[in-house]
Amino acid sequence: MSVVAETQHVVRRRRFDTDDRWMISLVVLLVAELLYFNFGISTFWGGGWGTSYSFLGYGESFLFTSMIALGVMFVIFTGDIDLSVGYMAAFAGIMMAEFHIGGMNIWIATVLSIALCAVIGLIQGLVITYFKLESLLVTLAGGFILNSAAVAWEGPVPPYGFPHSYDSALGSGDISGTIQIPNQLIVFAVLAVIATLVVHRTRFGRQLVLVGHNRQAAAYAGVRVSATRVKAFVLSATFSAVAGMCIAANYGTARDDLAPTLLLTAITCVVLGGVDIFGGGGRVPGVIIATFVMGWLAPGLLQDNVNDTWATLIAPGTLLLAALTIKGIVDRRQGVSFRAKTLARFGPGSPTSAHADAGDAPGTGAT
Amino acid sequence: MLVVVTLAIFGLTSAAQPHFALQGNISFLLASAMPLAVVAVGETVVMLVRGIDLSVAPVLGIAAVSTGFIAQDSHVSVLSMLPLALAIGIGLGFVNGLFVTYARIPPIIATLGTFTVYGGIEQLICNSRTVVTLPTSWINLGTHDFLPDVPYILVPGVLVTIAMALILWRTRWGRSIYAFGANAEAAFRAGIRVKAIEISAYTVCGMLAGLAGLIYVVQVGSAGYNTGSEISIQLQAIACGLIGGTTLTGGKGGVVGSFFAAIFLTVALEGVIVAGIAYQWQSAGVGVLLLVAILIDAYQNRQGRSVSEALRSVLGGHKPVQQEASS
Repeated sequence: MSVVAETQHVVRRRRFDTDDRWMISLVVLLVAELLYFNFGISTFWGGGWGTSYSFLGYGESFLFTSMIALGVMFVIFTGDIDLSVGYMAAFAGIMMAEFHIGGMNIWIATVLSIALCAVIGLIQGLVITYFKLESLLVTLAGGFILNSAAVAWEGPVPPYGFPHSYDSALGSGDISGTIQIPNQLIVFAVLAVIATLVVHRTRFGRQLVLVGHNRQAAAYAGVRVSATRVKAFVLSATFSAVAGMCIAANYGTARDDLAPTLLLTAITCVVLGGVDIFGGGGRVPGVIIATFVMGWLAPGLLQDNVNDTWATLIAPGTLLLAALTIKGIVDRRQGVSFRAKTLARFGPGSPTSAHADAGDAPGTGAT
Repeated sequence: MLVVVTLAIFGLTSAAQPHFALQGNISFLLASAMPLAVVAVGETVVMLVRGIDLSVAPVLGIAAVSTGFIAQDSHVSVLSMLPLALAIGIGLGFVNGLFVTYARIPPIIATLGTFTVYGGIEQLICNSRTVVTLPTSWINLGTHDFLPDVPYILVPGVLVTIAMALILWRTRWGRSIYAFGANAEAAFRAGIRVKAIEISAYTVCGMLAGLAGLIYVVQVGSAGYNTGSEISIQLQAIACGLIGGTTLTGGKGGVVGSFFAAIFLTVALEGVIVAGIAYQWQSAGVGVLLLVAILIDAYQNRQGRSVSEALRSVLGGHKPVQQEASS
């Protein structure tokens, strides 16, 4: 990654080695998980690879979460966070459904809703950068406002009844009768390729990572920091909106409570994928692999007769905490102080290096 | 200042809806603000050390359902359940502190993780049952006043607030909390055991959330698998801290403000309902209040003035300084 790699050669090379190892561990984890479920679940292969009733071919249960994860990843790359993505997806679905019920062509409604959600993301990003507020709190508040709006708009009976072609195209349909790859996988693959290319192959992508790595350095290097951060929020909102469409099509209805719980899973995917929660590091393919690790985990455990609460709440939460703890240890071994970054990230205004040292000193003494 | 705004909202609402100011309702409002007030006091301690705790909602829930189920099954007294509620809170809060301090996960992510895990534990404890039939002594405690308009429930809330305020102002531990939040480097160089202080802040926050769970179940009379998370009490508590003048950047603020902010928030939200705005918008109301609170917080940081000063200058007809605030 040219600019950064040239200026901070040693650090970046080390970091990339860490990233490589992290990706390899993820692949191993995914293979191990699938092997385990292979023995535990009778419908694992179903009628063959990719058939709609096989466990492997059943992507509709998590692919929309993966899309949300890809969106929120942009924001995390810049060192911000977006907690409104789940509510955004739910709101987008309801908006599309209400437009459709109001008589609009469903595809126009879809495009319009995604565009409007991008505008909402733009507003959130502008509020955060213009007033210099903590993205965490603004998007939390924004999420709650979106949630209220969604509940109020859907009314007592959530909108339902989309054309069959729509449900099939974005929801539970497969490519064809013989090649049963879920259509959602195609949508996800398109988004994944876009995300990978944008982050790793464009000027904007490099700026995105640089802004997250060191905001001040980015500013001195002539990067328009605020604009880059705002763009990340717009991308996040757009991806969530697309996910919201898929959720609506998959369930055949748009409801306020279908998506908000996906937020934590999405963030878990991003963090598990090796993206630095403080921004400025990580790789998109890692996130993509991580979404499959996470995606097959809950349904797999459920089919393995694990208690519902354990599979959907406790296992993902534990995985998130464990992944971050391990990542923290790995980062510290690499000489990048996690604590220093914590304080820099959550400190007041600009980071003070002295501050970071203080929190770090007792830690290095203890370990 | 906050008290004035609260009274103004109360006055306006009662003018519009006369039954709002009935004696029972004042008492009810005060009582229903108490679980939030106690959580907010705990949240304030965490905010003072530059942290944030989202997991207070399921901690409150776990304490509420555990004590509620025992009371429902074996009719024990409220006081005998106090140690259990506190112990649950201390344990869960301590785990939060470990994740933040030793695993070095940023507070928001760590407590978001424990939020889900604790939420799962709450569901496991409930096991699709709910607390519905509490002993009469519990119900009486939750609904009766010991003076006109002064419900019993108010007592623990006020006691906790006064105690925490004194502890924070007058004890070595309290000063260390402020010192750590204001400047961790200086605190460390001054010989404060910063890790212990940070963990203790999360532990105290958890403990108060546990206590709030007991208060909640006594006051509401029921609890279920999503108690706490369903009303997003963690968000409300953070909003209370901010409205009460505690900053997210640590080291500034206090618990008394949060206590009054909790009453303010409760009255304001109740006012929204009485004013005839649909119930669905309540969560948006919290969101808007939170946004306003962080805007004021940011303004205050930039201007170096307190919220009440700033509001007074705006409300008092002096020249508003919004121009500078937004630049």
